[in-house]
Amino acid sequence: MTQFPDLTSFSFEAVLTILGMAAVTYGMRLGGLLMADRLPQHGRWAHVLERLPGAVLISVWVPSALSAGAIGIAGAAATVITMAVARNLFAAMAVGMVLVGVGRYFIGN
Amino acid sequence: MSRPGQTESQTENQTQNQPHTQTGHFDADTIRRGALACLPLLPSTIIFGAVLGVLAAQRGLSLGELLFMSLAVFAGSAQFVSVDLWRETIPSATIIIATAVINMRYILIGASLRPVFRGRPLWVKVTGMHMVADENWAVSMTQKDLANPGFLLGGGIFLGVVWATGNTVGYLLGGGIPDPEVYALDFAFTAVFAALTIGMWKGKVDLLPWIAAAIGSVIGHYTLPGTWSILAGAGAGVLVAALTWREDMDDDSLEAEFAVEGRDAYGAPEGIANSTSVKPATETGQ
Repeated sequence: MTQFPDLTSFSFEAVLTILGMAAVTYGMRLGGLLMADRLPQHGRWAHVLERLPGAVLISVWVPSALSAGAIGIAGAAATVITMAVARNLFAAMAVGMVLVGVGRYFIGN
Repeated sequence: MSRPGQTESQTENQTQNQPHTQTGHFDADTIRRGALACLPLLPSTIIFGAVLGVLAAQRGLSLGELLFMSLAVFAGSAQFVSVDLWRETIPSATIIIATAVINMRYILIGASLRPVFRGRPLWVKVTGMHMVADENWAVSMTQKDLANPGFLLGGGIFLGVVWATGNTVGYLLGGGIPDPEVYALDFAFTAVFAALTIGMWKGKVDLLPWIAAAIGSVIGHYTLPGTWSILAGAGAGVLVAALTWREDMDDDSLEAEFAVEGRDAYGAPEGIANSTSVKPATETGQ
């Protein structure tokens, strides 16, 4: 870098783009909650809504473990098992990450 | 729990006196606990924040614009894609559409936060829903006492500060950031979500929807672009949950009703729920 980084300039287009990104993202966050508020508190919809966080969470990490290859799958399995046994988030993360880090160092991806 | 000799009417009286007790909307102590709960995510969040900072400097965003984006949008994966698309003539429409597609999962995440905001006024929902990232959402959803918007917000503020700090460091250094993959820091996000899944297990009703979500997301991963796999998996899970629901699955036991009415699970002031006798009459009565 030859010149000092640009710290404070705000171009009109950039601000507008960022506001658009923020509006759609916040709109979906709040919109999801307000929609769910209108769903019944009992019965099928309540049951579905209770299964939702687990389903979203699994869909977030299972594909990313897969794309990390065999070592990623092993790391995720180790993390899940450690959590089930020790019930400690920090320990579970540490076991998975150390396994993946060491595995990548010695085996590669 | 209930003291010997306590009559049933006393228990009833007690429960009638505190039906609306709940944690303050954004209680300072709860915010602090929420922030601390996200501490394991600090190293990976700061490094990824720094990587984004380096990328933003290369793409011509000013640091001010980047920080504004990080705090106004507050969604890591969408920001990476957007900054990557950023050019001198900003392709605004493309960036906003990409952001909408990548962040569509927040509709589901927002919906699943219903128990956290149950019974809260609209302004709490409006202010509490901004700082919701995948990480503090997942950490909050596995709490025993769900009805704490402050806990969610605390995690969000913590992650926001760390994220913006990482951005600034990366932007100013302009490179020389350690490769996250070498220290498996990229795996930290996979690990935290995998571990927190254990805490979301509510019993065997979860089994089939979860298997469906896993299969759906894997199929989506190989057949669909980008983050559509999250929606494919969540959709499969929701579908199976709806199909496997039976009338008798509704947890209408007294204990569940108590929780819904703002006691054990939703909104008891911390420390009080367990120290006072709030067990349903089935246990205290004869």
